[in-house]
Amino acid sequence: MKPSSRWTPYLFIAPALFFFAFAVLLPMVGTVFASFFQWDGFHEPIFVGFRNYGRALQDTIFLQSFWHVGIYVIATIFLEVAIGLILAGIVTSRKGFNSYRIALFIPVLLPTVVISVLWRFVFNADFGLIKGFLDAIGKPEWNHVWLGDKRFALLAICFVSGWIYAGFYLAIFYAGLQRVPKEITEAAAIDGAKSWKIFWKIKVPMIRRVWEVSLLICITGGIQGFDLFYIMTNGGPYYATEVPTTYMVRSVFRDGEVGFGSSLAVIVTSAVLIIGFIYSKVRAKSAEAVEY
Amino acid sequence: MKKFSWVFHLLLSIYSLFFAAPLIWMALSAFKGNDEIFDKPFSLPHSYNFKVFLDAWSVGGLSKYFINSALITGISTLVVLLSASLAAFAFSRFDFKGSKQLLMLFMIGLLLPIQSYFISQNKLFEYLHLKDHKLSLVIPYVGLGIPLATWLFKAYLDSLPKELFEAARVDGGSDFAMYRYVAAPLLKPGIATVAVFTALGTWNEFLLAMIYIQNESYKTIPIGLLTFSSRYSTDYQLLFAALTVITIPMIIIYIAFNRQIVAGLTEGSLK
Repeated sequence: MKPSSRWTPYLFIAPALFFFAFAVLLPMVGTVFASFFQWDGFHEPIFVGFRNYGRALQDTIFLQSFWHVGIYVIATIFLEVAIGLILAGIVTSRKGFNSYRIALFIPVLLPTVVISVLWRFVFNADFGLIKGFLDAIGKPEWNHVWLGDKRFALLAICFVSGWIYAGFYLAIFYAGLQRVPKEITEAAAIDGAKSWKIFWKIKVPMIRRVWEVSLLICITGGIQGFDLFYIMTNGGPYYATEVPTTYMVRSVFRDGEVGFGSSLAVIVTSAVLIIGFIYSKVRAKSAEAVEY
Repeated sequence: MKKFSWVFHLLLSIYSLFFAAPLIWMALSAFKGNDEIFDKPFSLPHSYNFKVFLDAWSVGGLSKYFINSALITGISTLVVLLSASLAAFAFSRFDFKGSKQLLMLFMIGLLLPIQSYFISQNKLFEYLHLKDHKLSLVIPYVGLGIPLATWLFKAYLDSLPKELFEAARVDGGSDFAMYRYVAAPLLKPGIATVAVFTALGTWNEFLLAMIYIQNESYKTIPIGLLTFSSRYSTDYQLLFAALTVITIPMIIIYIAFNRQIVAGLTEGSLK
C-alpha cells in the first residue's frame, strides 16, 4: 500500500531503528573495530592489525574454552533436546500427562541466578541434596566437592542445564507433535504398528523442521552460554569450566584488555553466524520435507 | 499400548522427582535453621516460621531489587511493544524506498549474539555516562528485544487481509489512524507473546545488568540476588528464603498464564 505521504513509513520505523542502531548495530561495528587495536579502554588505542586474533588462536585457555563449550553442547543435545523429545513422546501418548508438561517448563522462566544459586547448594559437599541422597543410600564415600573438582564441574553444569531446558524442548516438540494429523497415526495404529514405532518412524520424521530448529537453538545458544558458567563456577576450578564468554568477560572487565576481548567476541560471533549459515544451507537442501 | 502405560508413568514419575526435588528442598529449607539443613535434608521442618520471608524481603533488600526489576521490565516492555509494532506496521503495509534494506538490518539483529556488541556498548555507555542510573538498563534491553518483536509483529500483520486496510484508506483514514484503529487492536495475540518474552527476558537478564549497575540501590533481582548470596553466604536459611520468595510468585503467575507464557517463550523459535 502507498503511504499517505512519502515520509510516514520512516517516521514509523524511526523509534525502533534508533534503539536498535544505538544499542546494537553501532556497538557491534565498534567491537569489530576495537578488535584491531591494543586498548585498555582508557589510554590511546594502538593499531595492531590482526595481532589480537593471532594471540587468541594461540591462547590455550581460549582454545580450551571452545573444547569445554563443545562438550557442553554435545551433552545438552542429549540432556535437553533428546530428553525433551522423549518426554514429549510420553506426554502426547495419552491424555492426563499435560500437567507434567506444564510443570517441567517452570525452570525455563526462572532467573538463571536463582537456579544457579540453588544448584550450588544442591551440589554443596557439606549439606547439599546430593550429599544427603548419598548418605541416605549408604554411600557417603561417593560424595565429592562437585563444583570444585575438575572432573565433575563441567558435567555438573551440563546436568543443571538439562534440568532447566528439557522442559523447554518438551514444549517445542509438544507443539510440533500436536500438528501431526491424527489420520496418519490412526491409520498406522490400525495397521498394527506399535505406539513407540509410530512415534519414531512416523511422528519424529514428520516434525523434522521442529527438531532441526531445536538443534540449532541448542548449538548456537550453547556456544553463547554465560550465566550458568559464571555463577556456578566462574570458569573454575583451574579453568575447567571456562567457556568463550566467561573468558571474554574476564579479559575485558578484569584484565582490562578491551581490544583482545573484542577479538574473542568477533571469533565467537563468527562461529555462531557460520553455524547458522551452514544450517540454513543444509535446510534449503532438505526443503522437500513436510513443513511444520 | 494401554498395558505399558505404567512404564510411562514410572519413567515420568522418576524424572519428575529428580526435577522437583531441588525446588521442594529449597522451599522446605527456608523454614529450617542451619543445623536442620545440615543434619536432616529430607525431613519436614519442625516448625513453620514465615517471618524469614519478610526478613529476606525487607532486611535483605529484595524489595528494592524487586521494585527496580519491575520498573525496568515495565518500561522496557512498553517501549518494545510500541516501537516494534510501529516499525512492523510500516514494513508490513507500506511500499517505500529502502524498506527491504532496513528490514534486513533488523533481521541481522535476530542472529547477532549479545557477545557481538556488549563490549563496545559498555564503552559507549561509559562515554555517554549512561551507566549506573536507575534506568540505565532500559536502552540495552529495548535494543535486545526489538528485532524479534518486530519480526513477530510483522508476521502477524502480514497474515491480515489487505482489504481491511484498503477499506480504512477509502474511509479517509490517515497512516497513523490505520495503525491505531486497525492494526493495533488486531495485534492483541501478538502483543501477549511479545510482552511475555520481552518481560521475562528483561526480568531475568544477567550479563548486562552486572556490567552496567554497580550502585546497590539500582540493582535488579538477578544481580541483587548475587550480591545477597555473597553478603549472607552462610545464612543458608535466609538464602533459601530469598530464592523461595523470588520463585513462588513467578510460579503462581506462570500457572495462571501458562498458555501465554509457554507460547511467548517458544513461538519465536518455531516461526
